[in-house]
Amino acid sequence: MSGAVAGTFAVARLEWRRMVVRPLAWVLAALTLAWLAWNFTLLLGGFLAGQVQRAALPDGPGFTDLVAVPLLGQLAQLSFLVVPLLGMTAIAGERRNGTLPLLFAAGLPASRIVLGKYLALLLWLLSWLALTLAMPLALAHATDLDWGKLAAATLGLALMLAALAALGVACSAFASHPAIAAAAALIIALALWSVNVGAQMAGINGGVLNWLAMSTHEQPLLRGLVSTADIAWFALLIAVLLALASRRLDTERERG
Amino acid sequence: MTTSPTGACAPLLQLDRISRRRAGRAAVQELSLSLQPGQVLGLLGVNGAGKSTTLSMIAGALRPDSGSIRLGGIDTREQPELTRTLLGWLPERAPLWAELTVAEHLAAHARLRGLNGAAQRNACTAAIERLELQPLARRLAGVLSQGQRQRLGLACALVHRPALLVLDEPANALDPVQAVALRGLIREQAAAGTAVILSTHLLAEVTAVCDRVAILHDGCLRHDGPVQADDHQALERTFFEIAMHGDAAARAA
Repeated sequence: MSGAVAGTFAVARLEWRRMVVRPLAWVLAALTLAWLAWNFTLLLGGFLAGQVQRAALPDGPGFTDLVAVPLLGQLAQLSFLVVPLLGMTAIAGERRNGTLPLLFAAGLPASRIVLGKYLALLLWLLSWLALTLAMPLALAHATDLDWGKLAAATLGLALMLAALAALGVACSAFASHPAIAAAAALIIALALWSVNVGAQMAGINGGVLNWLAMSTHEQPLLRGLVSTADIAWFALLIAVLLALASRRLDTERERG
Repeated sequence: MTTSPTGACAPLLQLDRISRRRAGRAAVQELSLSLQPGQVLGLLGVNGAGKSTTLSMIAGALRPDSGSIRLGGIDTREQPELTRTLLGWLPERAPLWAELTVAEHLAAHARLRGLNGAAQRNACTAAIERLELQPLARRLAGVLSQGQRQRLGLACALVHRPALLVLDEPANALDPVQAVALRGLIREQAAAGTAVILSTHLLAEVTAVCDRVAILHDGCLRHDGPVQADDHQALERTFFEIAMHGDAAARAA
């Protein structure tokens, strides 16, 4: 393993350790999973109640459409709050703590420091997604899951969490205080999601604003439609945000 | 230790006319210095003289605006990863991650400096024993006293056995017993071939452990010469002349 790669993993491991020993990550995980579990039982109750009527429909919605995907949709909504809160200290917290120079002094390029922080946050978010996904999967033996649709929705959620994590790390790199980083990440994420609302209300369903909006690329995935263009949009957004964060850290090392 | 073709020891660290501006003023100006393996250099200067900025640049936490820093003959700007393995740094006030234990700090620093597996575990154990941190190993850094934080910071700087140790006011908050132990540690490191740069406000610290002293004033090097253990008064005189009269004293020196 090269020095830079080992350094990235050292930063990721350090960030992961700091994340799991802080109460915030556990409190957020406990509260959100309890909320999602409660909603899962409600969705399941609704699904069971309407099962007789739906049996008459030849291509009616099933367990995946009525329980699994809506549950993932709720996770997506929660992620707008959870990701900024978890990502806010990634770099702004180090800066405030005076420990950022220790990472610079380890001789790592800024991009590796950013990547290490990002990977740790992403690991937490993917574990969160996996625990949420475990709820509908626990009933897989008793229901008729649409595996393709569920896989597409899971991919969509994973991409969205990855993009929001990159946004959280980038805001943390630019902000002087973790709270500012969290607020900025929340506002930018909401703006990015709904930047096309005005255009849609005016009846415009194409153009740059629609392309810019995260919802344009997320909703097809949640419906089970996987497109390379949507995946590329998320990859591009993540790369741009991480590059901006790296540039900001590099400038900080340069200017002090 | 690197040796030149003529047989003379090549410097481990060489600063060549480094300059750095901070907050709109020249914090360090055209500073040139070199340090041999095993040498202990005391860095003196009044507050704002540029000591911490100089040390941050040597440690790789800050880049010089101009000039070059060579470690083992190689420019650190071209190979920044050199600082990773060759250099240990204790910044002023020993910044720590409050939520990690003492043992976790050492492990994190060892990994950041390129140690893994058994090498990392052995290095951490050695550092804990050398700094007598065994009773604190499982304690969170956030609840340590200032002196304990300073000892942990020192252990983190030493954990990967660097060739150059950069200490920014390491005696801060240490009690007299710990301060004497620190002197012993610095001498021990120097005897093992580690070069040490010690920034301090305590002139007695310099005469007790340093071979050489450099005095900075307004970001410029005003004095660079050997230290005699019994020459405390002469050092004090030079320091106060530079601190009070700046350039005039420098010219006289």
